[in-house]
Amino acid sequence: MKLETSAFLAPLSRAVAQRALIVALVRRELSARYRGGALGFLWSFLNPLLLLLVYATVFRLVFAPRADVRPYALFLFGGVLVWGFVSSALLDATETFRVNGPLLRKTTVSAEVFPAAAVGARLTHLLLALPVLAAAILFSALRGGVRPNAAVLAFPIVLTLLVLTVFGAALALSALAVHFGDVRDIVGNLLTLLFFVTPVLYPIQAVPARFRPLLRGNPLASFFLGIQDSLFFFRPVPASEWLWMLGTTAVALILGCGVFERLRDSLAEEA
Amino acid sequence: MTAEEPAIRVRDAAKIYRRYGRRPHGTLKSALLSLRRASREGGVVALQDVSFEVSAGETLGVVGSNGSGKSTLLKLLAGIVRPTRGAVSVRGRLAALLELGAGFHPEISGRENIEITGLLLGLTKKEIMRRFDDIVAFAGVAEFLDAPVKTYSSGMAVRLGFAIAIHSDPDVFLVDEVLAVGDEAFAHRALEKFSEFERAGKTLVFVSHDLALVSDRCRRALWLARGRLAADGPAGEVVARYRESVAAEEGERRILEPGAGGRIGSGAASIELVRVLDSEGRPTGRVKSGEPATFEMVVRAAEPLADFVFGFQIATVSGAVVFGTNTFLEGFRSKRLAGDARVTLATEALDLAPGIYSLDAAVHARDGAPYDYRRDVLRFEITAERPGSGIWSPKRSWGFAGGIGWKKKGEEH
Repeated sequence: MKLETSAFLAPLSRAVAQRALIVALVRRELSARYRGGALGFLWSFLNPLLLLLVYATVFRLVFAPRADVRPYALFLFGGVLVWGFVSSALLDATETFRVNGPLLRKTTVSAEVFPAAAVGARLTHLLLALPVLAAAILFSALRGGVRPNAAVLAFPIVLTLLVLTVFGAALALSALAVHFGDVRDIVGNLLTLLFFVTPVLYPIQAVPARFRPLLRGNPLASFFLGIQDSLFFFRPVPASEWLWMLGTTAVALILGCGVFERLRDSLAEEA
Repeated sequence: MTAEEPAIRVRDAAKIYRRYGRRPHGTLKSALLSLRRASREGGVVALQDVSFEVSAGETLGVVGSNGSGKSTLLKLLAGIVRPTRGAVSVRGRLAALLELGAGFHPEISGRENIEITGLLLGLTKKEIMRRFDDIVAFAGVAEFLDAPVKTYSSGMAVRLGFAIAIHSDPDVFLVDEVLAVGDEAFAHRALEKFSEFERAGKTLVFVSHDLALVSDRCRRALWLARGRLAADGPAGEVVARYRESVAAEEGERRILEPGAGGRIGSGAASIELVRVLDSEGRPTGRVKSGEPATFEMVVRAAEPLADFVFGFQIATVSGAVVFGTNTFLEGFRSKRLAGDARVTLATEALDLAPGIYSLDAAVHARDGAPYDYRRDVLRFEITAERPGSGIWSPKRSWGFAGGIGWKKKGEEH
């Protein structure tokens, strides 16, 4: 598959051309990560499961759960998993050229594969957690919750667009981080801020009407509303949200590829 | 693709590293500030005005001291960095062995590392699978394939890295100093592999500090000095010229590194320090011909001595004695040397021809038995505005009378 693209998206098409290498890098990352642990890949299931248990316990015993979204632990779970992917992928992207500096300086590999592999590794963790999420949804339905329907089919599409958006941002951030040591800290703090203005912990109805436009300014909001619609409320994602998502994805890819392309020549020198 | 078309073509290539990139921890603010400055200062020139071609099937050696631009040249050829000016083109599949096992991840197995390194070198999965057994056999790591690479000895890792690279079947092979790391047997096998490459009409460029290897294996060599092409020609000649230049520089460097020569003596007294001082009494490694200079030694006697002689001797680097003297020859009769002492020999004008000179300093008994005799204890350089051959450069002036005419300065052309 060769993407016929303008020079703008050159990093994306090069990444596609090198997918075998990216897959191998992701596998290397995961296999290096789990090597030596007694439970190995099981952790990919255990981590989200334990997270779910913590939520279920805390919101039953410590905090009052939100009354408008029940069961709140399940409401949180999907969003938090996906948010975990977004934030860890972006943070990893800021480190990827530091970590892979020797490879970049000593081999002829093209640089896109590293941010792509950083995103890919975090995506794999998310995908491995999805069975736990599915089980939680079914368990809740059996206990009398809302029954899942065809609306869940929107989720893979939302996720695909989100992954492309994250990849665009990862390209820009990874290249900028090589030149500016501050990028990682800035990204870390922005993500903390962004977490609270993204509908992860709350449904959009909980936001006072006059603040909703502010929420709209957050490019990630539509993705998480889409996730809530498809995985919790089981209702179709509104067309306006699809437009937001598509627009955000396009802008992120074009900007990300543009920044990366401008800086790529210097990466092997500076990383 | 014609046969005459070179495998590698480099034209007027220059690589300038921007200076702000050299700092490891740039911050936004400092980078924005220095971005402006760097563009004015122009950065560090790693390579400039380099042009050459390499025909397919040629083996080219590259020599030069550290920092002369050898690695930058290989990186340009490999396409890892782009030339700031000029053009670099390489025809055919290229494998760059800039660091063996650069792609290895210590935590994962040799098997997985072979696959990933192969992909990094541009092989497809199928190609890797087809060559897998050959790679393992060449590297001799069969029984460790499933162990993480961090458990490999450094020799094993190097062999594996080399094996993967040569089995990537390149048309152009760039090698940076890789034979220095393996053992004898491995180096031998690697060289055999290089010969195979040569016979197969592949192009090999290798950077090495092993000059004998370069003149043996390569018909042609490049010598890089301070980022420029100092020589390009038959390997034997280029290596010989490079050797000469290294020897000359070596002599110069030793001015600042005293104590490289031999030392004999009983130790009853020891020379702690030897220096050359300029007319102001400051230690120096360079003296202008005809200027005053003072030779100084600091001596320590373990026990008080009644019999002692101090001496200095100046020689050329090739060993010819220029001048020598000692306190006994000049009429001093020893009485007592105890503890620390300082001896100086001042000259009003050091009328030596420009060049490098070596200094011996000694403290010994009257019968010549040395307490501490230090040969070639330091080297210093004599500089002069006026040339002249030999070792003596007297104060001088020409005189002319009769029908002799000279052009004025600036009238020479």
